[in-house]
Amino acid sequence: MSRWIALGLLTGRKTSRFPDAPDLEAEAPTTVTVITSALTPELAIQGAEACPTGALVATGDGEEGGLEVDLGQCILCAGCIRAAPEAFRWGAEAETAVRRRERLRASIAWRRGRMVVAPTASAPNGGGEAVGEGRCPDDRLRRAADELHRRSRRLFGRSLHIRHIDVGSCDGCESELQLLASPSYDLSRLGLFFTPSPRHADALLVTGVVTRQMEQPLLETYRALPEPKLVVAAGVCALGGGSFAGGLATRGPLDHLLPVDVYVPGCPPPPLTLLHGLLLAVGRAEERLHILEER
Amino acid sequence: MTRDVARDRSLASGPGVRGGEGRLHDLALSVGLTPHPGAPGELRAHCPAPTFADAVARMAAGAWLSDLFASAEGEGMGLTAILSMAGDPGWLLVSAPLGEDRFPSLTPRVHAASWYEREIAEMYGLEPVGHPAPARLRLHDWPSGAPPMRTTPGGAVPARPGPDLASVVRGQGVVQLPLGPVRSGPQESAGFLLVSGGEDLVMVVPRLGYKFRAVERLAERQTVEVGLTLAERIAGVSAISNGLAFAHAVERAAGIVPPPGARRARVLLNELERLHHHLGALSRLAEATGLGVAGAQYAILKEEVLRICGRLTGHRYGRGIVAVGGLASPLNRAALATLATVLPAWRRRGRRLRDLLEDTTTFVDRLETTAVLAPEQARSYHLVGPVGRASGVDRDARRDHPYAAYAEMSVAVPLAVEGDALARARVLLDEIEQSLTIVEQALDGCDDREVRADGLLGPGSAVGWTEAPSGECLHYVELDDRGRLRRWRARPPACVAWHPFAHACASGNNLTDYPVIEASFALSHAELDR
Repeated sequence: MSRWIALGLLTGRKTSRFPDAPDLEAEAPTTVTVITSALTPELAIQGAEACPTGALVATGDGEEGGLEVDLGQCILCAGCIRAAPEAFRWGAEAETAVRRRERLRASIAWRRGRMVVAPTASAPNGGGEAVGEGRCPDDRLRRAADELHRRSRRLFGRSLHIRHIDVGSCDGCESELQLLASPSYDLSRLGLFFTPSPRHADALLVTGVVTRQMEQPLLETYRALPEPKLVVAAGVCALGGGSFAGGLATRGPLDHLLPVDVYVPGCPPPPLTLLHGLLLAVGRAEERLHILEER
Repeated sequence: MTRDVARDRSLASGPGVRGGEGRLHDLALSVGLTPHPGAPGELRAHCPAPTFADAVARMAAGAWLSDLFASAEGEGMGLTAILSMAGDPGWLLVSAPLGEDRFPSLTPRVHAASWYEREIAEMYGLEPVGHPAPARLRLHDWPSGAPPMRTTPGGAVPARPGPDLASVVRGQGVVQLPLGPVRSGPQESAGFLLVSGGEDLVMVVPRLGYKFRAVERLAERQTVEVGLTLAERIAGVSAISNGLAFAHAVERAAGIVPPPGARRARVLLNELERLHHHLGALSRLAEATGLGVAGAQYAILKEEVLRICGRLTGHRYGRGIVAVGGLASPLNRAALATLATVLPAWRRRGRRLRDLLEDTTTFVDRLETTAVLAPEQARSYHLVGPVGRASGVDRDARRDHPYAAYAEMSVAVPLAVEGDALARARVLLDEIEQSLTIVEQALDGCDDREVRADGLLGPGSAVGWTEAPSGECLHYVELDDRGRLRRWRARPPACVAWHPFAHACASGNNLTDYPVIEASFALSHAELDR
C-alpha cells in the first residue's frame, strides 16, 4: 500500500486551475459552432441543408428568408462547417453554459437577397435586433431572475451536492462526468460533490434524451430532492433531444418535463464546460456564449 | 513489418487454417443451402422459413452465430442470420421470408440465439415458437401495442413483461435488493435485482433496456451521413468503433475503397478508443476494490488519451472524424507528432501500474475466482470481446476478419482460460500493451493528406464490422435506389457480452463482490439499449 501512496505523491499536481486560470491543456478543440460575419443567404441555406438535427433551419429562399439557430440541438457534427466553411466555424471556448434556453438561439433574416441585420454581435448570444434577446421583454421578470441567482449563490455557492441521473444517454456525458471527479478536474476543490442519495442533493444533473422508460424514474428522482433544488441539463440530448429528437421511444426536451436552471450544450459537453455549467448554477460564473462572431 | 510476415504471425496465433476461402461455403452446402456471393467476402443464402431454424442450428454447432435479426421484406417480414467461422475471414448471411408472425425458435439448440429472439419478439411482434423463456428483453415499461421497430402492419409487443424487480425468489433468509435503474454516482441507468441469502449472492436478474432510443429506426430513409452521426451516438466510449463499422458496411455495399492513409488512420483511431475505454474500465475496477490511487492514476491516463484524440480529430471521442469513403479530414500532424513522443511514457506508466496492481493482494484476492465464466459456458453464448477472451473464446475481428489496415499489422490476441474477474482484468491490461504496439505501427503512414475516396451510393447491402473495445461490432445496412438507408441493423458487442452476465454472477460469489463483478465486465448499457 505504501507504494501506492508513494506513486500518488510522486505524480504531483495534475489538477486543472480552471476557473481561476484558463486551462489550455484541458480545453476541448471544439465546443461550439460559431456563425461568422461572412454569412450570406446562400451559405445559410447550404449550412442548414447539411444539419442533421435542426440546429440550423432555413426558411424562405435566397431572396426572402431567415436562419433559425439553436445550439441546444447542435451535435457538433461539422456538417455546416464542411458545407459552408466561410460562414460557420468552430469555437473552442469552454464556458458555453447558459441559464436561459433562449440564449442558445438566434435568428437571422434576409430580404431581397441581403442580410437585414448584419450578423455581428457584441452582447452574449449576439445581441442586436436580429437575435432572440427580445423574447424576455419583462424587466420585472429579469430582476426576479437576478434575485433568484443571488439567493442561489447564498444557498449553494459554497457547497453543492449533485445527484446525477442518466435518462437515455450514450455514456459519453457519463464518461466526462466520471473524469470531473478524477484528479484532472477534481470538482470537490470547488465545493462541488456527487452524492448517491437524492435526499442529500441540492441539484439534479440530467444527461441523455428522456426515453419513454426513464420518464417515471426521472420524475420520481426529481420529487425525492428536497426544496429548494436546481436542475442542470447537460448535453444536447437533454436540451433538445439531439440526434434522437422526435423518436418514437423518446420524450421531448427535458425542460418540457422539469424546470431547468442551467443548460450545458455539447455532445458530450467536455469537463470544463460541465464545470462552467455547475458554477453558473450556483452563481459563481458568468455566461460567455457568443453564437455570432464579433466583427 | 512486411505484409507477409504480419500474416504469418496472425496465422500462428489464430485458430484453424487461414486462407481457406471456402469454409463458410462448405458449411452452407453441408446443410443443403446454395450460397452465392454478396459484397466482397460475403456469402448469401436463402432458406425457406420452415427449415431456417434447423439449418442455422446445424451450422451454428461448428460456427459462430454472429447476429440474428428481423427486417421488413416487401409487405412481409423476414429473418436474417449472420454466421462466421474460425479460419474464414468472410461472413455467411442466411435469410428466410416469413409467411406469418411466428417462427420456430433456435434457442433450444443454440443458446446464443436467446436474446436475439427475445428482441425480435418485442421489437417486431414475431413469436419465437418454442423459446424456453420468451420474456421481454428491453421493453419493460412499455404498453403491449404496436411493436416499436416494425414498419409493416401487424404484430404486437408480447403481453408477458420482463422479470419484475420486486420479486423473483421467495424463501426464508432470502433478501432481494433492487438496484437501479437510477444508480449511485455518475453512471448509466440500468436495473438489477440482487438476490442474496446471508453473505452469498444467489443470483442477479438484469433488467436492461431502460434507455431504448430506437436508434436504428431513426435512421430509416435518411442519408448515410445522418446514419453515421447516429452510429457514432449509439455509445460515447465506442463512437469510433460503431461509426467505423457503419461506414465499412456502407462502403462495402457501394464498392468504395478508402485510400491507404485513411485505412491506417482508422486503425490508429480504433486503437486509441480501445486505450481510453480500457483505461476507464480499469479505473472503475480499481475503485470497486477500494484502490483510490490506482483509480485516479488510470483516470489521469484516460484523460491524456482523450486530449490527444481531441487534438488529432477535433473531438475528444473522435465523433465526426470517420466519413463514408475514409476520414472527414486528415489527422492533425502536430498531434500525431505528440502522440509518437508520449507513447513510450504511456507504456512505461502502464507497466508500472500493472506491476503495482499485481502486487496488491487486496486487489488480486477480490478478483480471483470472482464471477467465473467457464470456457464451455462462454462458447455456448458465442461470446465476443475481452469478456470472451478471458474465458478462452479466441475471437478477435482484427485478426479473424481483418479490416482497414489490420492485415498489415501484427495483432496478437491475449487469451486467458480462468474466466474470473482477474482474467478479465488481465486481458484488459494485455490489450492496453497490444494497442500501444499497434498505434506505434499505424503511426507510420497515417498522416497522408489524401484521406477520402469518392463513390456513388446506390442500391445494395453489406455487413461492416470492427473490433470495438468490448468486442466484435457488426453492422448491416441496406441502401435504396437513392443511396439512402432502407434498413440498418447495429449489433454492438454489448448485445452479446451482457448475455452471460447473470450466469457469471451465479457462480458462487459474495454480495459485496457485486461492484467488482460489474466493473470487470466493463460493458456499455447504451450499446445494448440502443
